[in-house]
Amino acid sequence: MNNYIELLQEFIKTDFQLRYKNSYLGIVWVVLKPLATFSVIYVIWSNIFKLGADYKMGLLLGIMIMNFFSEAVMMGMDSLMSKAGIILKTKFPREITIYSAVTIALIDFTLNMIVFVIFSFFTPIHPTLIGLLLFMMAVICIFVLTMGISLFLSLMFIKLRDIHNLIEVGIQLIFWATPIYYTLEMMPENLKKIIVLNPLTLIVTYARKGLITGSQVRTEDFLQLGIVFLVCCLVLALGTIFFKKKVSKIAEYF
Amino acid sequence: MDENKPVVQIKNLKKSFFLPHERHDSLVEFMANPLRIFKPKGEQFTVLKDIDLDIYPGEFLGIMGRNGSGKSTLLKILAGVYEPTSGSVKVEGKVVPFLELGVGFNPQLTGKENVFLNGIILGMSKDLLKKKYDEIVAFAELEKFMDMPLKNYSSGMQVRLAFSIAIMADADIYILDEVLAVGDVEFQKKCFDVFRNYKEQKKTVILVTHAAGSVKDFCTRAVFLKDGVFQVEGDVDKVIDAYNVG
Repeated sequence: MNNYIELLQEFIKTDFQLRYKNSYLGIVWVVLKPLATFSVIYVIWSNIFKLGADYKMGLLLGIMIMNFFSEAVMMGMDSLMSKAGIILKTKFPREITIYSAVTIALIDFTLNMIVFVIFSFFTPIHPTLIGLLLFMMAVICIFVLTMGISLFLSLMFIKLRDIHNLIEVGIQLIFWATPIYYTLEMMPENLKKIIVLNPLTLIVTYARKGLITGSQVRTEDFLQLGIVFLVCCLVLALGTIFFKKKVSKIAEYF
Repeated sequence: MDENKPVVQIKNLKKSFFLPHERHDSLVEFMANPLRIFKPKGEQFTVLKDIDLDIYPGEFLGIMGRNGSGKSTLLKILAGVYEPTSGSVKVEGKVVPFLELGVGFNPQLTGKENVFLNGIILGMSKDLLKKKYDEIVAFAELEKFMDMPLKNYSSGMQVRLAFSIAIMADADIYILDEVLAVGDVEFQKKCFDVFRNYKEQKKTVILVTHAAGSVKDFCTRAVFLKDGVFQVEGDVDKVIDAYNVG
């Protein structure tokens, strides 16, 4: 058990370090990438529509959350494959590679939130204590959800390499199918129904509500997000069962 | 530890791999028969047919055999990397596999960072590594280079460092795949001393090698693996003879 945690820490530490080693901006890239997306969308959209201050911060937060989601899924999917050399030579609990990858995405998201706080000095947001709680819950939802998805994808990726490209496209679709740069109200009724089915829609909506317009948070919001949370937990449980069942033969499939 | 109770117990072990005959990688070929993705053509290739082996504490077992005879597969099963197709494998005690030196070594990281990464992957605790760090560096004779990225090491320096970490693991069973001695002649002497020490301390060592000399010097027992079964078992000299004949 002791070694389990130390191995997890070591993987997180080295993989986090290694990603931007030998690049001049290093860790700054973690925040630059979502900021670039934000700038592009904001400049174009603010020239087309009249947009409020809440929209700007909502857009920034939405992009940061989507960035968290896509990074967690992509890195989680690659995690087993990228550790093939170690997996072929030693026995250790394989799921650690996935835990470490998704945790790195969470660390990246935390760094992004620091930038978000800096932005909020210029464009004030209105968080409340209860709103912050709702926001935290939304973040935990994504963490649990991406962990579950990664447990499936990392194993499938080894046998079916096409998954990588498929998921890349899928994440693009999800990005546009989540109300990040538009609001749900802008959409026609029948399209709205489809967009709400996307669990990320609710997660992003409540994360924004909690952090940007905290005074509007109601008890029902917690209940609704609670249902989303249960769904995320179900994905994680199924992912864990799938992983435990299939992982023992992994070394033969690389 | 009870001398009469085996630390490794292998019963009717069988291991086979799927050997694909043809691969259709392009889309057109795939479209011709899409279902093949679920049922590719191929056969089961049995590497280990029927292996029975008990290893007792303090034994130094040599496994000999030609390339592709399944020696490494057997070691990987003992190390827990592969699962047996059928049969049972019981291993008691802490195992340190030397299947490859420097597992997880990253060329971008410094020597020092790699010591901790590799050590933890081998199952050592961080505290132990901190305590033994100076000893590891001294054994590898790399005092001046520990803050340098591993990519700037010579290959000899890398294996010396890797070997020095691996021997610090306080295991009950060591599994060695052709890595009895590394580096130059001076360093190789040190490596052999380590294993002589293990032998005196009554540690269990399982060694795969092609070097008949090492088997003769170290092993208390040997097996000759061919066609998935042990052809000769027990006496070291007989096994070496069988290996030389093929």
